[in-house]
Amino acid sequence: EQRPSLCVLADTREICSGPEVISCLRAQHRLRVQVCALGTTDYMVSNRLAVERLLQSELQSPGNRNKLSQRLQRLQGSFERICVIVEADRVRPGETSRFFQRTQYYDGVLSALVQAGIRILFSSCQEETAALLKELALLEHRKGAAIQVPTEPEGHRRDILNFYLSIPNLSYGAALNLCHSFGSVAAVANSSVPALAAGSRLSLPRAEQLHRFLRHDFDLQLLPQPLPAKGK
Amino acid sequence: PVTAGSIVVPYGHVIVNEKWRGSEVAQRLQGKVRLIFEDGLGLVDFHLSNRTCILLISEADLVAGDEFKRRLVRFRNASSLRGIVIVEKTQISEQYYLGVQKLVVLELGMVLLPVANQGEASQLIIQLVSFCVREQSKDRGSNPFLRKQRPQLAEPAVLQSVQQIPGVGKTKALLLLQQFGSIHRLCNASISELEEVVGQTVAQQIYTF
Repeated sequence: EQRPSLCVLADTREICSGPEVISCLRAQHRLRVQVCALGTTDYMVSNRLAVERLLQSELQSPGNRNKLSQRLQRLQGSFERICVIVEADRVRPGETSRFFQRTQYYDGVLSALVQAGIRILFSSCQEETAALLKELALLEHRKGAAIQVPTEPEGHRRDILNFYLSIPNLSYGAALNLCHSFGSVAAVANSSVPALAAGSRLSLPRAEQLHRFLRHDFDLQLLPQPLPAKGK
Repeated sequence: PVTAGSIVVPYGHVIVNEKWRGSEVAQRLQGKVRLIFEDGLGLVDFHLSNRTCILLISEADLVAGDEFKRRLVRFRNASSLRGIVIVEKTQISEQYYLGVQKLVVLELGMVLLPVANQGEASQLIIQLVSFCVREQSKDRGSNPFLRKQRPQLAEPAVLQSVQQIPGVGKTKALLLLQQFGSIHRLCNASISELEEVVGQTVAQQIYTF
């Protein structure tokens, strides 16, 4: 009874760091997994939900704090909903299961995530992570937010996708939707805010942001660094 | 049945269900946070603030069967409070964890946090309380995962985007933007208008894009 339309976008980095997740999603759960350069997030399971896969050790070490908070803040810029899957670190063969020492710092990180409204799931291995991703995709599908557009534009459409992707705070999914819903960039630029929201499947405030960006009056004086003189 | 009326939690305090008096969690919390024991909290174990509360599921609850699930569902249906479920995930109760997670997080949309024992639960509660206190004092800047809204100049991004048009590099992008001002106007420019700024070929390319 699996619908073929159930689709998950995976970031290219995940081929290295989570190969089992991707192959489980494909082989066991029969999901369409499209690997693309998402950049900001590890997985996109619907038009609005980004899933970040984090290892438990990453949450344990205070050294990661800045990187993690920057990453999650950037996600909040482009996604309505964020979920974090905390995966237990892999136990290497021969190594007896490492004793997980829970620290005050770790509890603090969890509390901060809860307060920020970020959903947290716990997984003990990559297979479980894949199962959780499938559940999330199913749930989002039920709520009518599933990714239902072709995920592999070609030729000219590829150029247009790259153009949309360069817009700040626009997720890969929203860019795909724009590609699919509008015939041309000019059609997007001339759309009203509600039409943009419907076509990109973004919320109204985010569509407004996009609208403002497209009509932003460029002022050369406001470019941060002076351009290098020509002919050097 | 969830609570007798709305609960008002004094600033920096935790209201604890009477049934936890003398338990390991309560003992470990004592001295770290100010506890108020109260009867008649119903389904809730700890109130951290006026809108956040904790339901604690012990190892025994998990093993005993589905009673705790009914409790969670009843809580979810009856209360608009933000419910955080803390569950004791031990070697014995581990096997139930995935099922509980699916119910609590995916179906009920609540927060679920595993701990290994009551000692860990108390440490976690202390951290949660400290974040609740910060939230109440509107000190939201202290949360590293909350996005800070700072206005950003759109100029560099607009320039970047225009460079994505085939045939347009930095120099032409600047010329185009100086002439047309915004992406919106650039999209609506005619070929002849474009030709005034860039060559015929590129004008054609931009126009068809």
